[in-house]
Amino acid sequence: MADVHIQGVTKSFGDTVAVDDLDLAIKDGEFVVLLGPTGAGKTTTLRLIAGLERPDRGTIHIGGHDATTLSPAERDTAFVFQQYSLYPHLSVFDNLAFPLRSPARRFPEEAVRRRVEEVARMVRIDHKLDNRSTKLSGGEMQRVAIGRALVRKPAIYLMDEPLSSLDAKLRADLRLELKRIQSELGATMLYVTHDQIEAMTMADRIGILADGVLVQIGTPRTIYSEPANLHVAARLGQPAINLLPAGLLPDGGAPAGTTTIGARTEHLAIEKAANGHADGVVDWVEHLGDQNHLHVTVGAKKLVTLTDPDTLLGKGDRVTIRYRSPLYFGPDGQRLM
Amino acid sequence: MLNRTADNVARATPEPLAKKIRGISDKGLAWLFISPTILLLLAINIFPLFWAIYLSFTNYRANRPNEVVKNLGFANYQRILGDQDIWIAMQTTAHFVFWTILLQTVIGFTLAWLIDRKFRGHAFWTTIILVPMMLSPAVVGNFWRFLYEPQIGLFSYVISFVTGIPPTNVQMLSNVELAPWSIIIVDTWMWTPYVMLICLAGLRSIPEYIYEAAEVDRASNWRQFWSITLPMALPFIMLAVLFRGIENFKMFDMVNLLTGGGPGSTTEVASITLKRQAFESWRTGYSSAFAIILFVAVFGLANIYVKALNKVKQR
Repeated sequence: MADVHIQGVTKSFGDTVAVDDLDLAIKDGEFVVLLGPTGAGKTTTLRLIAGLERPDRGTIHIGGHDATTLSPAERDTAFVFQQYSLYPHLSVFDNLAFPLRSPARRFPEEAVRRRVEEVARMVRIDHKLDNRSTKLSGGEMQRVAIGRALVRKPAIYLMDEPLSSLDAKLRADLRLELKRIQSELGATMLYVTHDQIEAMTMADRIGILADGVLVQIGTPRTIYSEPANLHVAARLGQPAINLLPAGLLPDGGAPAGTTTIGARTEHLAIEKAANGHADGVVDWVEHLGDQNHLHVTVGAKKLVTLTDPDTLLGKGDRVTIRYRSPLYFGPDGQRLM
Repeated sequence: MLNRTADNVARATPEPLAKKIRGISDKGLAWLFISPTILLLLAINIFPLFWAIYLSFTNYRANRPNEVVKNLGFANYQRILGDQDIWIAMQTTAHFVFWTILLQTVIGFTLAWLIDRKFRGHAFWTTIILVPMMLSPAVVGNFWRFLYEPQIGLFSYVISFVTGIPPTNVQMLSNVELAPWSIIIVDTWMWTPYVMLICLAGLRSIPEYIYEAAEVDRASNWRQFWSITLPMALPFIMLAVLFRGIENFKMFDMVNLLTGGGPGSTTEVASITLKRQAFESWRTGYSSAFAIILFVAVFGLANIYVKALNKVKQR
């Protein structure tokens, strides 16, 4: 395990700038998640660290050594691809053993067997070691792919949306397993996803990428409660943050220059209108079982918030809405303190 | 709207015929459509096959159609299987099949592997390499006869230039030692591109990320080739070998054009023997029996091979 430093890295494909002047430092043993929409440069960042792409500018240090121009094999990284990149003609065991059987490593076969069995147990695939890798379900294949990365003890694990092609149940299971494995191993990990729940639950720090630029990096709590700008605020929270024009609702504490107010559930106090005055009307209540989504119309705007499953509010109810220290954004989209 | 169009079409068909057509079920219509093909297939494939099986048990001679045909039972087959010349022809064939397949597979796969590097101008070189395959075998045969010509041929000239042997001594087609190789060279020249094309399809079907995964897993280029490229392209290579094997087992055109089976019978492959028996000696019954034996042999070998291929594919 080692720390990774990326400084001023830029990578373009033709006219498209995939990664733009990126600075990122990952500490030894840290779990960093890069979160962003498709095309934000997440995968390119991983590939740059793995050495599958060469940066146009900037440097990459792995474990204190300049790795900018090294080949993938010289870098000591492990990569889990978004597709199940298994070797289709090999068994599960041979797939897991593949990185250990590199002639450069010269592991005795007995040590290989022990390590493979250990990792197979860790990713819970030990009952299928003799199966052909093509005869597995999607979840099993991805577990083998993750296992193949884990058999080695590289400087850093790079994971490119490893759970995105799995069904919801399996994704939740593997999310927990991955986090457990990572903390057990004390592994340095850079994990790419567009799923905010994965980012929030697994990361020590989250980096928000947009159009090749690292917009903000910090702990999940910081990113959630102190987003740097509208883009970051909109990426986290379920239901998505409500962005309302200033002046729509009474906003006494707003700093000068506020144009947009961001309000999540915890920033809103909604009550049934008691005496004539009302700010909005309940559109409908969406029952999700364990929780409800409350849809409210305020003027021309619509609000969505969480509410208790046993809420007394119903369609057509007139309500008063007050802010509780919401997020304020200026005309340039940056958050105002 | 749609209904009305259908009505109009139906009305446009003369009434008695329309009635008849409407009476045909979908299945009947399907049979109606494929019947010409089936009849043609029966006439030029199936019937001759069974006719040849019948003839193989007789002493029929096509040049004496008025003679009484005698049923010989398995006598033709017994004679063929005991005939020394036939076995020599089979050995010659096996020799050709072995060397052409070996050369074409090795060179074809190597070329495919090089083309797959996607260097500058690889599309242009692919086209150039494919040219021999697109020529007619008759053209290729005649063309190589000129190249092999001891006095004026380019091939003989180049060989003598490189080795110092006088060109008149490079008798590719009439030397007992060289004649088989002259045919192997031409067949390889012509059909290696075909093997290359199939191998290239195999190589292109290997996804890029498998190589990237291997690279991150620190597999050397050598190891990537042996543990990824070759095993994943193997079904394609085997397919190419199957096609070329069947094709060369019945190799006729090139041998007939270049050497006609000579000098002596050094290049007399099974199909040349068959032609000589059938259309020079006019032993129609006898040669039919030989053709059936060849057919069964190729069919049996191909079947065994396809089973092996499926096993490899299933891995």
